[in-house]
Amino acid sequence: MMATIAMNDPFAQVPALGPERPVVWPARTHRKLANGLEIVLVESHTIPKFTGELYFRSGNASAVAQAPALAEITATVVRTGTEERSSRQIEEDLRRIGADIGTSAGADTSAIGFNGLVEFSLDLLKLVAELAQRASFRENEFERERRQMIEGLRIARTTPSFLANERMCRVLFGAHPYAIIAATESQVKEYRLAQLAEFYRAHYRPGNAVLIAVGDFAAPQMMEQIDRIFGSWKPAEVPGVPAVSLPRLRGRHVHLVHLAESVQTQVLVANHAITRKHPDWLRLALANSIYGGAFNSRLIMNIREQKGYTYSPRSSVHALRQYGYFTVNAAVRNDVVAATLTEIFYELDRMRSLAVAEDELSDARTYMSGVFSLGLATQDGLASQLSNVYLYDLPEDYVETLRQRVRALTAADVLAAARAYFDSANAQIIIVGDRRQIADQVGLFGQITEYDAEPN
Amino acid sequence: MNQLHIPLESTKLDNGLRVVISPDRTAPVATLGVYYNIGFRLEPRGRSGFAHLFEHMMFQGSEHAGKMMHIKLINSSGGVLNGSTHYDVTNYYESIPSNALERVLWLEADRMRALKVDDENLRNQRDVVKEEVRVNVLNQPYGGFPWLDLPPVAFRNWPNAHNFYGDFADLDAATLDDVQQFFYTYYSPSNAVLLMIGDVTPDEGFTLARRYFGSIPAGPPPPTADVSEASFEGLRRGEVEEKFGTLPAFAVGYRAPERRKPDWYALAMLDHALHGGRAGRVYRRLVLEQQIAVDTAGGIHYPVGDLFDYNGPTLLVSRVLHKPEYSSDQALEAYDAVIDAVCQQGIEQDELEQVKVKFRSEYVSSLEGGQGASIPRYGLMHYLACFTLFDNDPSLVNSILGGFLQVTREQVREAAQRYLDPKRRAIVFRQPTRTGVAA
Repeated sequence: MMATIAMNDPFAQVPALGPERPVVWPARTHRKLANGLEIVLVESHTIPKFTGELYFRSGNASAVAQAPALAEITATVVRTGTEERSSRQIEEDLRRIGADIGTSAGADTSAIGFNGLVEFSLDLLKLVAELAQRASFRENEFERERRQMIEGLRIARTTPSFLANERMCRVLFGAHPYAIIAATESQVKEYRLAQLAEFYRAHYRPGNAVLIAVGDFAAPQMMEQIDRIFGSWKPAEVPGVPAVSLPRLRGRHVHLVHLAESVQTQVLVANHAITRKHPDWLRLALANSIYGGAFNSRLIMNIREQKGYTYSPRSSVHALRQYGYFTVNAAVRNDVVAATLTEIFYELDRMRSLAVAEDELSDARTYMSGVFSLGLATQDGLASQLSNVYLYDLPEDYVETLRQRVRALTAADVLAAARAYFDSANAQIIIVGDRRQIADQVGLFGQITEYDAEPN
Repeated sequence: MNQLHIPLESTKLDNGLRVVISPDRTAPVATLGVYYNIGFRLEPRGRSGFAHLFEHMMFQGSEHAGKMMHIKLINSSGGVLNGSTHYDVTNYYESIPSNALERVLWLEADRMRALKVDDENLRNQRDVVKEEVRVNVLNQPYGGFPWLDLPPVAFRNWPNAHNFYGDFADLDAATLDDVQQFFYTYYSPSNAVLLMIGDVTPDEGFTLARRYFGSIPAGPPPPTADVSEASFEGLRRGEVEEKFGTLPAFAVGYRAPERRKPDWYALAMLDHALHGGRAGRVYRRLVLEQQIAVDTAGGIHYPVGDLFDYNGPTLLVSRVLHKPEYSSDQALEAYDAVIDAVCQQGIEQDELEQVKVKFRSEYVSSLEGGQGASIPRYGLMHYLACFTLFDNDPSLVNSILGGFLQVTREQVREAAQRYLDPKRRAIVFRQPTRTGVAA
């Protein structure tokens, strides 16, 4: 009897993976209107909605000569009124059609994001077009948002992850516009409404824009609708982003941001890397996934699952349009800051010294291509993959060929990427915590420069 | 429009495990989940935070898949995984390419059948959980506000009123015996539902469910627990120090009705009229018009849950961060004027119509998303699980909208008067120890 049970025991062996079903990226429609607006549409009939973004290829980096974070405050004020509608009217009209809009800006882009029921797509796109072309920049709306931004910044400057990022960008990017991720309070007080209106007039232009929409529509009809709504938009030359080179960072250096009474320390290790257009991008992405980008990666198994130093350590590759960088993040208890840095560098150097074994490599390739396919199941997932292609100027077949390119990567590719872009010898170590508890631990890893949480 | 048509099939295995399948062939991927009908509300006394600590232990090893195997097997199949602890359920879920379906069911069944963990695993995850609490609560501005602050003020019965993330002393006191006891008490197939969403046929899914879960012993039903809460008498106030953030804040909690009672539908519409984004009355009045507040938010079972995922006493919550030049009393007075207006006059017809469209739109989106694009249809899985475990009717996911879309103005006004009573509520103030200079 026992033998029979053992033979039929379905738990005795891990079930093998079944045959793969083909992963097919849905067809897309890509067109440029006469005024230069690029339009990309993908049908996805999972829910009776549609989602998308109108991106402008100008963000805070484009405005750094005028004022820091000018694109961000501009985007915020854009949603508060148009020539036709008041702020309150906009919000109620959105609710009436079951839609959401979000205006935002980062270093490289400004965006008007939208999602709503397809039955009201015409109304929603008309509102998007209004915000893009006829924002009214009223004084009272601007003054309210200015104060909101100041209060938001005060809170951000008590948030460890924000402080770490802010300092890291200053260190990695030096004189480049990417160095500034937020304005100071006094800089926000100096904004003038005319600066916002001017940034808007110069950069919210069709030749500088791409409109991406995914959803439960028929692409030809949607294209016609968009053409009708956006076709009359006037083109204009858009100023470019200044090219500035990056500081040459040699040797490890510790940048300690003092946040009094921290009961935990934010550890961030960073170095320069590459953009998405670089031929090594996928190699680096795979190396990152093995190092600290996936739950079963080396770093997470080490400092979380074996040592219990931290809850959510993670390494990431970041790409802006001009430059990229690599980061390792962990929020750890105060008495293991040195121990954590030791393990971070141990694992980095192991990736740089030894080729990964074939099974670990193969697992990581399957992980990367599998996670990519999860994005195809939802409208949001498709939209986010598309935006990478068009914001970073990637080849037109980028998403269609991604899985096969991932599967062709070798252990030598991973080793080469780790040696080139896990720059442990010149890594910049950003620490946010209470200096009294951690200064002597971090001094072991490089010369310390101390900062206050307040930049003023 | 009032009725969705999401395909669903469900069955119950002999051991009591319910299985719900919603096939969809959009992409060759699937989201799977196992939901247990136990959350932090019912963790043992003297063991605050235990249900969540236990959730971590479920990733630490089972009889055939030792520590790290579980995570490694999912990631190396091209999938992602996680778990989360809620008031009344705990979930474990994976999104995977569909060719890994059988493997994931094997893993989930193995840990339902035979969790296998040791003291070393427990020490490790206790440390991890403490860093989780620090990063989310103790070392963040407004950490835990108000989800950890309101319950001890609003409620009197320990299951509803304790620290759900856990006092560190209680986490330290947890033993391996506690882990095994909790597992045997609550993690039986008859106290769970298995969900498969996406690229799976019902035939295939049910067959595999029987193969891997069918032989797990049913186990005794969990003990019944008293989570009842006497209704509020009077105003309950609490104060919590805000160590990092620069703005004073307060949160208000009103007792919410049971799910699926007539008032619940009406209160959900009222909640949306009050807290639905920038058009909502609270944000519009306090932030956009009067400019007393900097941020407002709220909802039924807010912020760690929503309208559908509770099965016991909960609150309709408002959360307000306001400018330091206004006193707490002034800010609260402005908030109360908004509440008083809906109690007196209810909401407008046009406003109710807008809210209904927006509610329908958000409901549909929440089914597809819910956890970002990396977990397709997390929301559908989550609601199906709650409707199965709490209501024994997964098809509510298709029909529930109708009840909201039928709500009338009169019902909204009645719900406002019945539930938003300024004399029966809980308020917690967060007072910053350091405040920025007024601009």
